[in-house]
Amino acid sequence: MTKKISAPETGICPERTNKTIPVMYYQAGLVIFIALIPFLFPSFRVMDVVAKIMIFTIVTASFDLLLGYTGILSFAHGMFFGIGAYSIALILFFAPNPSWVHIPLSIVVSLLVSIGLSVIISFFSLRVKAIFFAMLTLSLAEFAHILGVQWSGLTGGEDGISFTLPSVFNFNHSLGTLFHTEINGRLLVYYLILASTIALFAGLLRFIRSPLGRVLKAVRDNEQRTTALGYKTFGYKLYSIVFSSCTASLGGILFSMWLCYVNPGSVFHTAIMVNILLMVLIGGMGTLYGAMIGASFLIVTENWLPGLLKHMAAFAPESTLVNNLADRWQLYFGILFILVVLFFPKGVIGTIRSQMNLNRQAKQP
Amino acid sequence: MRPEPIIETRDLSIRFGGHVAVDGLNLSVAPFVLKSIIGPNGAGKTTLFNLISGQYAPSSGQIFFNGHDITNQGVAKRTRAGIGRSFQLTNIFPSLTVLENVRLALQAKENIGRVFWKHYKAYPELEEKAYDFLRQVMLDNRYRADACLLTHGEQRKLEIAILLALDPKVLLLDEPTAGMSLEDVPAILDIIREIKFKRNRTILLVEHKFDMVMALSDSIAVLQEGRIICDDTPEAVSNNEQVLCAYLGGGVKHE
Repeated sequence: MTKKISAPETGICPERTNKTIPVMYYQAGLVIFIALIPFLFPSFRVMDVVAKIMIFTIVTASFDLLLGYTGILSFAHGMFFGIGAYSIALILFFAPNPSWVHIPLSIVVSLLVSIGLSVIISFFSLRVKAIFFAMLTLSLAEFAHILGVQWSGLTGGEDGISFTLPSVFNFNHSLGTLFHTEINGRLLVYYLILASTIALFAGLLRFIRSPLGRVLKAVRDNEQRTTALGYKTFGYKLYSIVFSSCTASLGGILFSMWLCYVNPGSVFHTAIMVNILLMVLIGGMGTLYGAMIGASFLIVTENWLPGLLKHMAAFAPESTLVNNLADRWQLYFGILFILVVLFFPKGVIGTIRSQMNLNRQAKQP
Repeated sequence: MRPEPIIETRDLSIRFGGHVAVDGLNLSVAPFVLKSIIGPNGAGKTTLFNLISGQYAPSSGQIFFNGHDITNQGVAKRTRAGIGRSFQLTNIFPSLTVLENVRLALQAKENIGRVFWKHYKAYPELEEKAYDFLRQVMLDNRYRADACLLTHGEQRKLEIAILLALDPKVLLLDEPTAGMSLEDVPAILDIIREIKFKRNRTILLVEHKFDMVMALSDSIAVLQEGRIICDDTPEAVSNNEQVLCAYLGGGVKHE
C-alpha cells in the first residue's frame, strides 16, 4: 500500500510550471502600462478612471473571495468599503495637525473595526441559511448608510467630509516636473494605489491558492462533505469573511485618499454594493482576475458612455427624441450588461476558462 | 475475553416526527473486524451510519468510540478522531479535479488547512500521496479531470480513494458498489478485502449484495425496523429463521 510510486514524468500538475512565465509577463506589462499612464495621457480624467478601476478591482476581488470562492452572499461588503473610507477621512479631518502617522493609524483602526464587525456578523448569522445571511447583511449595510447620513455631527451628513492629505501626499505639494508632468501629491497617491493594488491582489491570489483557500473552494462545492473530511467549516468561512472585509476596507482607504472627500452616498449606498455585484458577475465569479474586467467595464462605461452619447446626439441637435435617448445612458449600460451575460454566462473570464478547460479535457484519453 | 469494542451504541434511538427510524439499538463492533449491516429497505441502515458519523444527532442513547462518549461531537471532530465515511449517494466535490478531491482529504489529516500564506503546491508530497491513492482505485489516468465529468462508477471509486486518504480507524462503507458496473465491482472488493486482511482497521459495511456480504464479513448484524434482530457470524445468520423471514420475505427456505 505504501509502495513508493513516483509521479508521472510531467509532474502531477504541470500547469503551473508551464504557464508561470507568460502570466508573469502579462502581469508585468500591465503594471508598467498603468505606471506610465500619467505620462502617456496628460488628462486627469484617464488617471482618475484608472485609479478607480484599480481600487474597485481590489474591492471586487475581495468580494469574489466571498461569493465565488466560499459561496457566501454578503451585502455588507460595501459597508466595509465605507468603513475604510470613513476611518481615514474622520481621522485626518479631526486630527489637530495631520501628519503621515495618521495614515497607518487609520489603516489599523479600519482593520480592527472590520475584523470586529465581521466576526460579530459571522457569529450571529453564519450558521443559519444563506438567504438569512444575505438579508441580515443587507439590513446592516442599510443601517450603516442611515447612520452616515443622520449622525451629521460626526460624518457631516449628506454633505460628507472634505479633508487634505498630510505631508508629501498633499495635492498641492509639488516635487517638480518630469517629462512635462508635474510630480505632485496626487501622482504619489496614484502610485500608492498602484502599489497597494498589486500587494493586495497578490495577497488575494495567494490566499485562494493556499491550503486554506482550497478548503474554501471545497466548502463552496459541497459543505457537508468538507465537514466529513474533518474540516470545521464555520471557522473557514469566518476566515474568508474577515480576510475579504479587511481587504475591502483597505480599498475604501485608497478610495478616500484618491478623492479627499467622502459622503454616505459614495461609499455606503446600496448602489455601490450593486455595482460590486455587477463587476463580479461581468468578470466571472470565482476567477479573481474577473474583478479587473468587471471593474474596467463598469467604470469605463460609467465615465465615457454619457459623453459618447452626447457627442452622437450633437449630430441631431433639433430632435428631442434623440437627445432624450442620449440622456438615458443607463439604458444602454443595461443593454450592454445583458449582452455580456448572454454571451458570457459565467462572466468573461469564467466563460473563457471553462471553454479552455473543456477543450483540454476533450483532448485527454 | 472479548476485546473492548471500538464502536458501541447504547439504546440509540432517533425519531423523525412520529417515525422511529432507529429504535433502542445496541450495537458493539470489535476492533479490526469487518462487520456488515444488512436489512430490508427502510430498516435504518443508513440512518445508523449517519448517527455514528455524526450527521444526525440521536433522540436518545449514546455512542462510544474507543470507550469515549462521542454522542455530542460534531462530524468534523469524529472524522479527525478516525471515523471515516463513504456515502451511499455519491458525495464528492464536483467542480474540483479528481486529484484535488483526494488531496483535500490528505490535507485535512495533515492539519494545514489554516495555512493561508503558503501556496498549496508547497506541499508536493500531498499530491504524490493523493496520486498513489488514485492508483490504488485505478483512477490515476483521470487525475486531472473535474470530478463531475467522471462516470458513476469512477465517482464511486473516487469516494473510496477519499476515504482511504483519510486513513480512518473505522471505515463506514455505505453500499460502496451501488450503481457500479459489473467490471468495476471486483476492484472495489479487492480493496475492501485488502484492508480486511491487514487487520489494522475496522470496517462497517452496508451492502445489499447478499453473496458479497456472506463472503466478506466476519460478523453480520441484521436490522429490521430500527432494531437488531440478529448479530452473529455469517453462517449463523444465514440459518436464522427470523432473518430469512425479514430479509428474504416470509416463508422462503434457505437451501
